[in-house]
Amino acid sequence: MDAQIATIFDEAESRYLKSEELNILSQYVSSLPQRLETYRLLRDKELEIMQQVADQLQLAMPQETTANLERCLKHALLMLRYCAMSMLLNDESFVKERLLGWLSQTVQAYNTQAIDSTLYRLLNQRLSQVFNPGQLGLLNPPLKLAQTTLLQPNLK
Amino acid sequence: MISVADLLTNNRVPSNYFAPDAYVRGDLEMGLLENRRGDRLLALPETLIQGIYAGLDKETGQATRLVLFNCGRWWGKNFYARFSEELTDYYNTALADMSMVEFLQCLQQCWIAHGWGKIDMDQTYQQRGFLVIKIWNSPFANHAPKGTLPVCFLEAGILSTFFSQLTGKDLQCVQTTCESAGADCNRFVLGLTKRLESVEAMVQNHDTHEAIMQALCA
Repeated sequence: MDAQIATIFDEAESRYLKSEELNILSQYVSSLPQRLETYRLLRDKELEIMQQVADQLQLAMPQETTANLERCLKHALLMLRYCAMSMLLNDESFVKERLLGWLSQTVQAYNTQAIDSTLYRLLNQRLSQVFNPGQLGLLNPPLKLAQTTLLQPNLK
Repeated sequence: MISVADLLTNNRVPSNYFAPDAYVRGDLEMGLLENRRGDRLLALPETLIQGIYAGLDKETGQATRLVLFNCGRWWGKNFYARFSEELTDYYNTALADMSMVEFLQCLQQCWIAHGWGKIDMDQTYQQRGFLVIKIWNSPFANHAPKGTLPVCFLEAGILSTFFSQLTGKDLQCVQTTCESAGADCNRFVLGLTKRLESVEAMVQNHDTHEAIMQALCA
C-alpha cells in the first residue's frame, strides 16, 4: 500500500485525520477507477502487446539466440505484471522489494542489458499506442523505475 | 518465431520464490512461523545461539566443534531435501536441470530470507577441485564467542552435506576465515575429504585463506 496512506492508518487511536491527510486518501480513492481500468486493459492485452514486442525484437536482433530473447521476454512479462500491481497499489516499493533486487542480479548474471534495452524501447512504444496519456501517467513511474534499475551497469 | 503464450506456464512466470515478504508467514495467535508452502520455520533467538555455544563448551569442551559440525550435517541433509523440493515445485524444474545462475540466485535469496546473512560462491579454484563459499553477516559467527579461530562449524556441516548431495560426491568443508575473528567474511573451502586433510592444521596455525588455497593448489 502507498506508504503515506499506511502511515495515516497508524494514527487511528491518537487523533482524527487532518484535512491534508484526508486529501491524500481521497486523491488515491478518486484515482482508483482509472487505475483499475488501466490494470484491466493491461491484463487483457498483455499477450497481444508482448507478442508484438517479441516479433519486433526478433527482427531487430537476429544475431541473438532464441534462448536469450525468450529469457528477456519472460523477465519483461514479470516486470509488466509487477508494475501493474504496483500501479494498482500506488506503491513503488512493491516493485523494488519484490522484483528488482532479485531480477537485477539475474539480468547482470546473464548480461542481457543490450537485448533488454531494445526490448524496453519496443515495449514502451507499444504501450504508448495502447494506453491513453492518463493511463500511461499511472503506469510509467513504476515501469521507468524498473527499467532504469535493470539497465544499470554491473555494480559488482 | 517465439510464442509469448508458450513462455508462460499455467499463465505464470516464476520469479523469486524466496522474496522475504512472500516467503515468511506467521500466525501470531498460534505463535507459528511458516514459509509460503505452510512448512514450519523456526526462529532462533540470539540468546539461544549464544547459549548453544556456551552450553556445548561447558558440557563437551573440545568436542563442541564436532557436535556442531555433525548437527550441521544433519540440518544440511534436511535443508537440501526441502530446498530441492520447494524449488522443483515452484519452478517446475529439477534442481539438477537448473542453470548455475538460477541455482546460485535461489541459494542466495534463500539464505537472506532465512536470516543467515549473504552467501556467495567463489569459483576461482573450481578447476582444481575446490569450491569456496563466502558468507557475510552470519548470525552464527556474530553470536559466537570471539576468538582467533573460525567457529562456524554448524554452517560448515550444513554446506558439506548440502553440496555433497548436490554434486553426488562426499565433500568435506573447512572454514578458513571467520567474522568472529575479525575477518571481512566467513570463507569455507569445499572439496574431497582426502584433499582437505592438511587444511585443518593450517587453519589452527592461523594461515591466511590465500596461503591455504595456494598450498592446496600447489
